[in-house]
Amino acid sequence: MHLSKLNRNIPKFQLWTRRYSHAVLPDENEYTDTPVYPPILDMSLQGRKLRERQSVHEKIKKLNTVEEKQIALNMPRYYGWKCVIFNENRVPYNALPLVQCYTRTHFKPVNSLPDAYSDTNPIAEQVVKETKSIIEDIIAIESESVRYIHNNSPEKSEEQIKEEHITKNIVRQINRVICNKLADKLPHILSAQIDYEPRHEAFWFVGGIDVPHNVIQWRKQYKWLHDRLEEPIDRPVQFIGTPHLAVRSQLPLKPIVPYEEATNPDFKVPKFTYIPESVGYCTEFRHGTNIPGFWPGDNDEFGLLSYHGRDHILSRRESYGQEDNIDALHSQALKASFGWLLAQANYQGFTTYNDITYPLVTQTVITNGKAWSFYVYQMNTITMHNEQMDGNPKHNICFGTTPLQLYDTIENGQVKGLNEDVLKMLVQFYLNAPEEREHDMKPYLGKDEQLIADIEDDNKRCWLESRYKHLVSNRPKHNLMPETYLWERIYKIQHKTRFFEAKRRFFERNINPYKRRLNEHLPPYIPKVLREYPRSKKNFERTYYPDV
Amino acid sequence: MKLSRVLNRQHIDFMFKKHWLVQGKRVPIDTGAENVLREKGIPVEDALEFIKEKPGPRERVNIVGPYEPQLPLDETHPDYKTRPCLTLTNKDVLLEGIAQAQVLTKTIIAENKLPNKIEELAEITIPKAVHEGVKKAILSSNVFDCEQEKLPKIKDPVRPAYNFPRILGITDRRRNQIITNKLLQLIERCSDFELTQTRYTLNDVQCKTVFDKDDDLIQFQDVSNILVTSNIPLKHDMNEKDIPFVEIPDLYPVKHTVTLPPEHFYDEKSIYPIQLNVSRKHPHTTWLHFNRTEVNNIYETPVTDSQIYGRALTHAFTVASAYAKELHGEEVQDLPEPIYVNCIQTDGQKYHFGVFELNTLNVDGVEGTKNVWYCKNDVKLYDRSCYFNGMPVLENYNPKIYGYINAFYNC
Repeated sequence: MHLSKLNRNIPKFQLWTRRYSHAVLPDENEYTDTPVYPPILDMSLQGRKLRERQSVHEKIKKLNTVEEKQIALNMPRYYGWKCVIFNENRVPYNALPLVQCYTRTHFKPVNSLPDAYSDTNPIAEQVVKETKSIIEDIIAIESESVRYIHNNSPEKSEEQIKEEHITKNIVRQINRVICNKLADKLPHILSAQIDYEPRHEAFWFVGGIDVPHNVIQWRKQYKWLHDRLEEPIDRPVQFIGTPHLAVRSQLPLKPIVPYEEATNPDFKVPKFTYIPESVGYCTEFRHGTNIPGFWPGDNDEFGLLSYHGRDHILSRRESYGQEDNIDALHSQALKASFGWLLAQANYQGFTTYNDITYPLVTQTVITNGKAWSFYVYQMNTITMHNEQMDGNPKHNICFGTTPLQLYDTIENGQVKGLNEDVLKMLVQFYLNAPEEREHDMKPYLGKDEQLIADIEDDNKRCWLESRYKHLVSNRPKHNLMPETYLWERIYKIQHKTRFFEAKRRFFERNINPYKRRLNEHLPPYIPKVLREYPRSKKNFERTYYPDV
Repeated sequence: MKLSRVLNRQHIDFMFKKHWLVQGKRVPIDTGAENVLREKGIPVEDALEFIKEKPGPRERVNIVGPYEPQLPLDETHPDYKTRPCLTLTNKDVLLEGIAQAQVLTKTIIAENKLPNKIEELAEITIPKAVHEGVKKAILSSNVFDCEQEKLPKIKDPVRPAYNFPRILGITDRRRNQIITNKLLQLIERCSDFELTQTRYTLNDVQCKTVFDKDDDLIQFQDVSNILVTSNIPLKHDMNEKDIPFVEIPDLYPVKHTVTLPPEHFYDEKSIYPIQLNVSRKHPHTTWLHFNRTEVNNIYETPVTDSQIYGRALTHAFTVASAYAKELHGEEVQDLPEPIYVNCIQTDGQKYHFGVFELNTLNVDGVEGTKNVWYCKNDVKLYDRSCYFNGMPVLENYNPKIYGYINAFYNC
């Protein structure tokens, strides 16, 4: 056995020696006036690993198409990343600090919209005056006078389902009235796309988080890791949400604060390093997905406005208190806004490793038909993995109001005490017109190939298309992830009682199934009859995984 | 090969069967215990004597649970009604399709004929930007929406046992919801605000009508996927003289209630989704989705075109008669003024337009006042829209459809 090992090693040495034994040709331009030294590289283990990671980030940056970048993000994990799940409708107690840290957001509570909205004040007042009576009508009708078909979901209480339905219908109607009113005045409303219950998902890495116990245990096995037991790790985070309604357009919104302000140290973000599982978040193995409600290729790729429900507040415990409920709404807004913007940024060619070069803005409304809270979110940065968590000076900014009452009561089919200021804020969100930016919107995408639909090679295009859709669908794997059964843990791992058996299981052969890469599988087999004429030895079809 | 070799082969199942036979005929061995006991004066009784008597009926124990146990839905239920109500829901179709629908609703049909006002409005030229918007709506419903749900199994009739990989994609329910809502949004945004504020749109509202026909009690339960209502009742001027109507057919030997399953739990009150105190309550246009995965024949045969047309007619009748009953009371027969309802049925690609004129709710027999159904069926909005070879495709967009939908909204 030792001999065979040695034999396998010999050709390697030969190659090595041959490569360096070439005769050096004399070159005229070999000498320069001033000596040029190669950069001094940190040759420690950490330094080399860092360079390895950076080269991967650089490779992802250089990929041409949006979809390939998304596949590249998932390349290191065949069975998916162990993601911290950010669910829009489940907010644990005291959620705001963690969400602020994970989205790198400075939250500014305000009572009215930021100054950037002051130009639209007079028009908004006019619109509110003209639509006020219609909206009063809508609220009264939708709350009492219409019979709908309800799809009952077993996860929600009756109360929640009722609130969800009323909210959904009021939001659709109010959006309809405001859009119809403004469509002939504002071209961006006329051409905007309105989605009902789109799929919003976003995926990113957060660094600087405390190390879970099992990772420390794993590190203890290796001597060279003993002094780095507590070194923080990257945690993949997956946001999953569904707004009631989302409006998007071809052009992005104007920044609320100048981009230079992003590095302003006044915008503080609290640090939250506790393990997310310990404060009520759960994890799930899944492929990271970035979906802003449409597949790449749709031209309306910038969000203007999204409406979210707040029925989850009803399912929270009473002991959490009113104040924490308001914090829960803020954290829901931060998650939803950051999640949607990040997915949009991914369609512009940025990823969690390659930071955006310009700010993106969205507006978020959280409502139950009666209480309305308004948020304006400006995304300045999306890199917050381990190396960037402390080094990145940029922050995101969110301005948000507390829940404001749109009306007082409904009596005899009449709405009493409609708050025009709330309605005005909503109209101002619609009046905020998107603008064309002067810089390159997609600096990290190819010139001609920005989507896989642009790829000319038929096979490559079809393969990438189906692979991408398969990946983001997160459908269950045909073969489940290898599992250590309990009896194996007791009799094979903890107590080596079955040493005489053939070692066939993955833990006996030192294979870490979590480290399996996405492309480590057999490609589809080509049956002999379908192989190329006359003789082809190509047994398996070609795959087009991005090389990262 | 000789057959005996196969037959002589040892077969474990034969062995088991044989063993069972042998064991089944076993005779209990006399151990002599009985004689010994008898000698000692202990009485011996046959065990079979004891098991002859059957155990008495056990009393049912009432367990107090967290909620009242549900009563079985049978004759003993307090809400059970002896007279069955024949029920048609939005998930079923009629066996004889449009002909049966005609008999049930006592309707004559004007085929390929819509009111003149609609035909005139449909001719209006529409700006190119709007058509771009329609194309966007088609693409976003068929291609760009991100829903990934299990689609129906693919079957190859030539090799029915072959399992194809299951495809995930946009379900027909979602596709229809997106395209109809986006088309309506587009129309409303292009119309005057004065017009749109007289209209109201509702999503997924329930309509129900219960009526007698030839001694049968029948109910139609329908869902309007989009119901556009207006502040004044819809009116159409029809010149009925020169229209070649399709008269009510004779379905013999089939009875007109075939494939309507009887239901014993029902409420005899009709339902119109909007209360009468609302000003914009008059039905204007009702949109009906045809979701192929949800609408079925009760005998598993595929749904035919005629059944799809019939579905639109019964749907329009349901909305119109529910409204009429809300307006004039449950017992109304011939209406003082006809009620008109526009109906658009679609599966996303094909559109069926119809205008229903409700003259009477007395649907007995085939004589007397009749209802009228003007329709234009099977118009395609596009030929193909999907991902083809990894590229989004929209083929043969038909701009005329948008004209009709716009006309239906504006009339």
